[in-house]
Amino acid sequence: MASSDKCPAPTPAKGAEAAPPGQPMTMGQHVVDKGASMLQALTPVKQISQHVCTFALYSHDMCRQIETHHYVSRLNQDFLQCPVYDSDDSNARLIGIEYIISDRLFEALPQEEQKLWHSHAYEIKSGLWVNPRIPEMIGKPELENLAKTYGKFWCTWQVDRGDRLPLGAPALMMSPQGVNLGKIDPELVKKRDDNYSISTEAIMESRVEIEEPEWINPQADYWKQHAKGFAIDIEKTEMKLRAPFP
Amino acid sequence: MYHPQVPGEPTQTTTSLVETATGAIQSFRPIKQIHQHLCAFHFYGYDMTRQVEAHHFCAHQNEEMRQCLIYDTPEADAKLIGLEYIISENLFLTLPDEEKPLWHSHLYEVKSGVLFMPRVPGPIERQDLDKVCKTYGKTIHFWQVDKGDNLPLGLPQLMMTLTRDGQLYDELARDVEKRFGVSFEKERAKRADMEGPTHGIHPLANGGGKGLITKLRELHCNRTDPSFASSQL
Repeated sequence: MASSDKCPAPTPAKGAEAAPPGQPMTMGQHVVDKGASMLQALTPVKQISQHVCTFALYSHDMCRQIETHHYVSRLNQDFLQCPVYDSDDSNARLIGIEYIISDRLFEALPQEEQKLWHSHAYEIKSGLWVNPRIPEMIGKPELENLAKTYGKFWCTWQVDRGDRLPLGAPALMMSPQGVNLGKIDPELVKKRDDNYSISTEAIMESRVEIEEPEWINPQADYWKQHAKGFAIDIEKTEMKLRAPFP
Repeated sequence: MYHPQVPGEPTQTTTSLVETATGAIQSFRPIKQIHQHLCAFHFYGYDMTRQVEAHHFCAHQNEEMRQCLIYDTPEADAKLIGLEYIISENLFLTLPDEEKPLWHSHLYEVKSGVLFMPRVPGPIERQDLDKVCKTYGKTIHFWQVDKGDNLPLGLPQLMMTLTRDGQLYDELARDVEKRFGVSFEKERAKRADMEGPTHGIHPLANGGGKGLITKLRELHCNRTDPSFASSQL
């Protein structure tokens, strides 16, 4: 019915323009939104405390690479959760969610689960992972901890393939690595660097003393050791019911 | 509802200091667009008996499209369990036919009163819900808290929503009514005049009436690509 690695049929939902189709917001909607946001606490969203800009690759086609914007909130020392957007603008599209866990939590996962996760050490040491507008000095103390974490990132809106609405099944994403297909296209990095007036190469040099994790679990970054990617299919099935449907 | 505890050590002071700094200095423009909290229920696309209370935090992309973060509670330690996209009927009709079953209608949830905006007075709430009534949603959950998972394990789950009376567990309904001080019955009466999609609920929506389940497929991937052999990074 739908697969993360199959391209959906062309329709008005696919097209060259970036913005999703739809009429601009009416004044009435703005007023309702404003009213609601004054009365509602929106507490979980207020816990978001960090913006990270980095890159990711589709696990079923690692030649497709995207710049990502993670808005991170922390539940405890070992666990972070991030909605992921395609830009840092107010009209950014929500393209997925990434979860980040410490190596301690990762090692306790079943092997079958570990296959869906990726490591962060290379991404951080290479300077690809940055906190925009934050001086390196401020962010550095945490980078050594983050370099040891693992992430699980599902992408629900494949904007790079031209989808104007979120189509198809969620896709599993992988992280940049220093070898083979894990290398990020320098053009993509340059575009990001120009946007923030930074140099990924200079950042990499400044991160030289950050310790490499002693060991990265070989079940993570599954493609590296096993030359396998993953796709998700959505299939019809009998629904278990407790009342008629629909 | 059961809320499993996420494993892990309490946040260290050094860590939270860095995050206080980033929180103060950086701009969070996409997050600042989030203006609305909606509470509703989802069930798994293949299993109506597994139902989840879902707190949506929504932002408008434009008048016809919203994108929502879904948490298991509205508290500070809430788990980010999924997301939902909400589109107008017009946009829904432009979707390819294979895509339509992945989207669900909102008509029943809104008219029955079970979908609501905590703390927002009825008249304001109803202005917006009048629109939501006509929309379609695509919901994916990544964290099966109802199973007791204390981490987001397994595959993404396509979720569906209530489409008629008799589906929602009474205990879930009563618990939410009590905690948020609302009455679904009273709201239902006030929403009697709301109308759904102009063309009626599309027959392909809501799984086309079937269950939908996600499966993982391994595929071979070439680890090397000659066009990147010379890149430095």
